[in-house]
Amino acid sequence: VLILVRSPLPRLRALLQRCWGRLERSLWPGVLGGQSPPWGPALAVQGPALVPQEINDAGESCAEAPSLLDGVLWMAAPKQRRTVEVNRCRRRHPSKLVEMKRNIDVCPECGNLKQKHVLCGYCYAKVKEETRLIRIEIHKKEGGPFNAPTVETVVLYEGEKPAEKDAGKRIIERARKRPSWFVQN
Amino acid sequence: SGAAWARGLFSWARPDRWLASGSLFPLSCIHTSTSLQKTGKWEKKNRIVYPPQLPGEPRRPAEIYHCRREIKYSKDKMWYLAKLIKGMSIDQALAQLEFSDKKGAKVIKEVLLEAQEMAVRKHNVEFKSNLHIAESLTGRGRYVKRVRCHGKGMFGIMKISRCHYFVKLVEGPPPPPEPPRTGFDQAKEYVQQLRNRTLVHTL
Repeated sequence: VLILVRSPLPRLRALLQRCWGRLERSLWPGVLGGQSPPWGPALAVQGPALVPQEINDAGESCAEAPSLLDGVLWMAAPKQRRTVEVNRCRRRHPSKLVEMKRNIDVCPECGNLKQKHVLCGYCYAKVKEETRLIRIEIHKKEGGPFNAPTVETVVLYEGEKPAEKDAGKRIIERARKRPSWFVQN
Repeated sequence: SGAAWARGLFSWARPDRWLASGSLFPLSCIHTSTSLQKTGKWEKKNRIVYPPQLPGEPRRPAEIYHCRREIKYSKDKMWYLAKLIKGMSIDQALAQLEFSDKKGAKVIKEVLLEAQEMAVRKHNVEFKSNLHIAESLTGRGRYVKRVRCHGKGMFGIMKISRCHYFVKLVEGPPPPPEPPRTGFDQAKEYVQQLRNRTLVHTL
């Protein structure tokens, strides 16, 4: 029984492949021209009288280039549906779980949480906001692009006088009390 | 609390969907169980009232149930975060979620903060840090199918997934983690199983 079943299969397979190739070439002419080498007769095969010829050609092509056929039409595909138990084993594996972070500390300045190797988010936002306001003052003083002076800049808050060492520097005034974290030199 | 409940009910109800759901008369007093009127079982768990405890009984710890519905995130991806914070104290969970890079971490953090505030205001919890996460679950929200355009005029159908997130906070320190099962425990259980065997259908 096994021997009888095995022989028509390559013929059927070759017939199906040729039909598929013809279909592909008719629908997308020129796109797959480079990919599939001609593995059938140049004549258009019509009618049942030419079926024995087809079978011979199929047999020959099978014998000639089985690797080409395999290369073009064999693709990896799953054989069985993965059960939910197998899926769970893969999805819940310890390597896929989110790890707990052990590098979280408390910022000594503001008391918010921070990572050990990263600046405190709250303190950074504070400094960023103050820098933005200082930059607005600088922009007002300069009045346009490419007007940056060649001297240093000193930021002074309410009630502060420029020191002797700040003689030739540009002074930016900010109308508020000096923040505790902005140390004056 | 009734006004807040009604507000919470209608915050996610969209007017264009009122007539699309089961009832033809949205203002009638006929109660139909359409999607608009479902409260959800998790929200109802906050309403159970226990009988007063007897003088000798140990104090029952407060339980707070909170959830957020229709979060625009995948339930499988959210599950990893829910698994992370299961069994932690609330402060530790908030710390972990703050520095997590996932989108769902922000949402879960908001939910935990809301639940903590609810606990202190309504559920008679004394210290807001004295809470731990007893259960944290994710559920599937409503999916919407949309067309995804590929090349050559082909299209696929993608599903826009949403999820729900449920959390149960319980007052008290977090329970100690279970010790891992050793070979000795497994052997003991096996021997016990062998000893439990009896003869059936005999005298």
